[in-house]
Amino acid sequence: MKKQFLKAGIVGLLLSGFLSSTVWSQSDPTGKRRISDTYAITNATIFAGPGQQGTKGTIVFREGVILGMGANLSIPKEAQVIMGDSLFIYPGFIDGAGTMGITKPKDPERPKDFVSSNPPDEIAGITPWRSATDQFAITGNQVDDWRKTGFTLSQVLPEGGMIPGRATLMVLGNSSSVNVLVENTGIAATFSGSRSMYPATAVGVMAKFRDVYQNTSLALDHSKLFASTSGIKRPEMTPTQTAMAAVVQGQLPILFRAESDLEVRRAISLQKELGFKLILTGLENYENVIDLIKSSGTPVLIKLEIPDDKAVKNQKDEDVTEATKAQYARVKEAYEKALKQASLLEKAGIPFGFSTADTKPGDAMKAIRTMIQNGLSEKAAMAALTTNPASILGISRLAGTIEKGKMANLVISTDSIFKEDAQIKHVVADGFIFDYEVKKKSSNANGKTEGGPSPITGVWEYTSETPAGSSGGEITIAKTGSEYSGTITYDDPSGAGKVSAPIKNVALNGKTLTFQFDVNAGGMSLTVDISGEINGNEMEGTMAIAQFGSFPLTAKLSSPSKKH
Amino acid sequence: MKKLNFILAALLGLGLNYTNAQTQKGSVLIKNATVLTVTKGNLENTDVLVQDGIIKQVGKNISAPSGVQTIDASGKYLMPGIIDAHSHVALDVVNEASAPIVAEVRMKDVVNPFEIGIYRALAGGVTISHAMHGSANVVGGQNATLKHRWGAKDPADIIMQDAPRTIKFALGENPTRVHGRGNNIQPRTRMGVEAVLRNGFNEALQYKKEWANYNAAKSQKGNTATPPVYNERLQTLADILDGKIIIHCHSYRADEIYMLINVAKDFGITKLVFQHTNEGFKVAPEIAEYTMGASVFADWWAYKMEVYYSTAFNAAILQRNGAITSINSDSAELIRHLYHEAAKTQRYGGLTDDEALAMITINPAKQLGIDDKVGSIEVGKQADLVIFEGHPLSSYTVPQMTFVDGVKYFDIKSDPDDQRQFVSATEMVEPIFLRTEEDHQCMQDVDAYFEAFQGAFLEEKH
Repeated sequence: MKKQFLKAGIVGLLLSGFLSSTVWSQSDPTGKRRISDTYAITNATIFAGPGQQGTKGTIVFREGVILGMGANLSIPKEAQVIMGDSLFIYPGFIDGAGTMGITKPKDPERPKDFVSSNPPDEIAGITPWRSATDQFAITGNQVDDWRKTGFTLSQVLPEGGMIPGRATLMVLGNSSSVNVLVENTGIAATFSGSRSMYPATAVGVMAKFRDVYQNTSLALDHSKLFASTSGIKRPEMTPTQTAMAAVVQGQLPILFRAESDLEVRRAISLQKELGFKLILTGLENYENVIDLIKSSGTPVLIKLEIPDDKAVKNQKDEDVTEATKAQYARVKEAYEKALKQASLLEKAGIPFGFSTADTKPGDAMKAIRTMIQNGLSEKAAMAALTTNPASILGISRLAGTIEKGKMANLVISTDSIFKEDAQIKHVVADGFIFDYEVKKKSSNANGKTEGGPSPITGVWEYTSETPAGSSGGEITIAKTGSEYSGTITYDDPSGAGKVSAPIKNVALNGKTLTFQFDVNAGGMSLTVDISGEINGNEMEGTMAIAQFGSFPLTAKLSSPSKKH
Repeated sequence: MKKLNFILAALLGLGLNYTNAQTQKGSVLIKNATVLTVTKGNLENTDVLVQDGIIKQVGKNISAPSGVQTIDASGKYLMPGIIDAHSHVALDVVNEASAPIVAEVRMKDVVNPFEIGIYRALAGGVTISHAMHGSANVVGGQNATLKHRWGAKDPADIIMQDAPRTIKFALGENPTRVHGRGNNIQPRTRMGVEAVLRNGFNEALQYKKEWANYNAAKSQKGNTATPPVYNERLQTLADILDGKIIIHCHSYRADEIYMLINVAKDFGITKLVFQHTNEGFKVAPEIAEYTMGASVFADWWAYKMEVYYSTAFNAAILQRNGAITSINSDSAELIRHLYHEAAKTQRYGGLTDDEALAMITINPAKQLGIDDKVGSIEVGKQADLVIFEGHPLSSYTVPQMTFVDGVKYFDIKSDPDDQRQFVSATEMVEPIFLRTEEDHQCMQDVDAYFEAFQGAFLEEKH
């Protein structure tokens, strides 16, 4: 019986293989073939790139390439039309370093003469010749979840040990296409050692990395001499050295996973010592090394995640000692600082991208929105999702913005993408349309829609608590059209009295008000960020001064504007 | 009013320091202390002037140059910063236990300047610690000599850059247990340990020669020589043979101590310090004659078979036999009261105050090759200083302030309680590992090797 089932299975497999290779035959028993590979999305609001104004218009694409966009575009007869009225179109997101769709290969069997102090490279996690292409399946784990979040391209990294292997740039397109866009885009590396063998720890990994690198370099010298001179012993390039050669020759970057500031320093110190091209991935805690990242010019792909707020949420208000309160405050400070990190990268002028590895697709947009609430501009957030990774990966010609001739990778949402209730309705990846269910907005019991603008215009009186005591002043906010503007007064840093400064980048997101102003002190201009939660006519939040720290701030709307 | 002004000024100052990223050097005048110079006797009611991190003047009635802060230390004792010749504080990884020789690994790669142990050491007057690789290997990794500049964010800022290179060796039960019994490779016995050392050094000699031959040949016309394999492990052993690295060897038994002295003699190695050295008293004259001495526990033994034959008189016997002797901690706890550990040599062996204090200052400085820079209060030396209330060898003494390069990093009166440099955003209570905090840390990170032996060996970690 079992055998018969097996046979039937094999026949089935053969049959399906046969059928899928008959895509060009007249009939399509699978029913999956597209009627047309030309599409038009009409009358949508198109945001062609980070920071660009939305324009009403139509996008036409064919065979995965954008044919054109604009208001008066003639739509080809064969195009399938998607009515884009009330929809917002953005360039498809790009994941700088991910592991979606990757299945870790089985560990090879240990040889009989295995010695733990000197294991074969493959067993010790040194497998630079492995390719993510072989470990990737478009139908694999989380690919659709990430596509649903708006991601259309991902540089997937293979799974493994200290040097897992080569990365591949994948387009998250149709399951029957070959989705490899660029193979061998870099070699992944980590500080993870192998269990119970050399190298077992981060310190061993760093030593072994130097060893692999230096010996690859020497093997290349040897090969060069062999090619040019007779009478030379033949070179014996190991698979590791063959794969690492492109790194040593400066053709391929190392994609080093560095989660903490200390790991970032370790990766950069190896880079400085050996001289390879470096891209850092998966950064989680990097506030201390922003200057180093900037000065070394290392491209960074930060982890698309924010720390969980359990520790902050679980803090009690009552029955706690002063000492516990002080501890609470430090955890809260650490939490708030972590949320601000991305905005600090923006301030430092570092064009970072994101890495989705080890993060949850369902939490991604919330993470980005939180970064925006904590000072990251929407423009920089969009750049981190599109143009920055395109530039880091060297594919700006193909992807990152909506332009004629670029890949038809689009995110189509029901509202401005970073708004809390925006939902992604379609994703276009490689010219294929993926539709997602859109839920209707739930309205509140009292009939008011949530997230409606709070009244913020008028004069606020604020006080801020700093190590030197409290200080305060007035914030005046006015609204013209849809833009807010205003002024703030504060204690003059160069003498007595108050000075006034215009406030900028005023944004109200639900109940969160954020704005900035500049202070001139000692010939240096500092940007102060204010962020607060509005509750009725009161606001509670923080005042942050560049990288120096943040201080609590409270404000009261003392005389609200009548016109709102 | 001026409050924001004040903050901004302070912040701007901080900002400038941050961008310069140089290690800080301070200036201070400490007045009217009883100065325990360690090398030049005790000076009553004496002032010590520090400028730009260097001791500029020691004497009476020194007045502070403008801008230099004065600290009144009347009735207090001033001694050189304590130096711990054996510590694992501020290391993210201690043991790369996976091979009998791992000379290529560098502890400088994994220094963690945020570890609270640094501050706690400062609170015990310790300004320099020798952050060592563990003792799972016959030849462990290269160590880092650290200056406790608490608050530094860059590991490079707490590494004492002008200290010579040192490396960890280990004899006896730890390497034979991990490799022989744990993984069934050499060494399984003390004889195996010696063989691993001799083989290693002989291979290093061949390696050095291979490279010398290649380097000589490659510039010649018609060269057919190809580059040898690069091997930092052997290169490091060759550097030891060339006298560029000081060996610090974990050891307990007299026979193995004498073995290593003989190996060192055979290979012409002179820069050698023994660590733990519990049976050092049996070979004290040999240690004195041939090595840079021994760094020992004051009174700690019997935590495994090879450490039973021990005595609290060990340090005194070594010292009186002319061996350079220091008292170390090998522990994040003992490092907080090394002055008390040093005082034990007076109870057991009757050493003088200067001899006892030298055990935690100038002697470890000699063993780390930094005695020309630190270890005593002398004009021209780096200003690593501690102010004590009560004589540091008294049971009732309490460290008051600790300075590194003239910068105050510990002040018992004015420091805030919470000194953590790194606070987790996601954990209210950070995980505490009792074992690594409480125990000696030589065998940290090697548990994976003992899975088969768990229970039987978990307690032994030195």
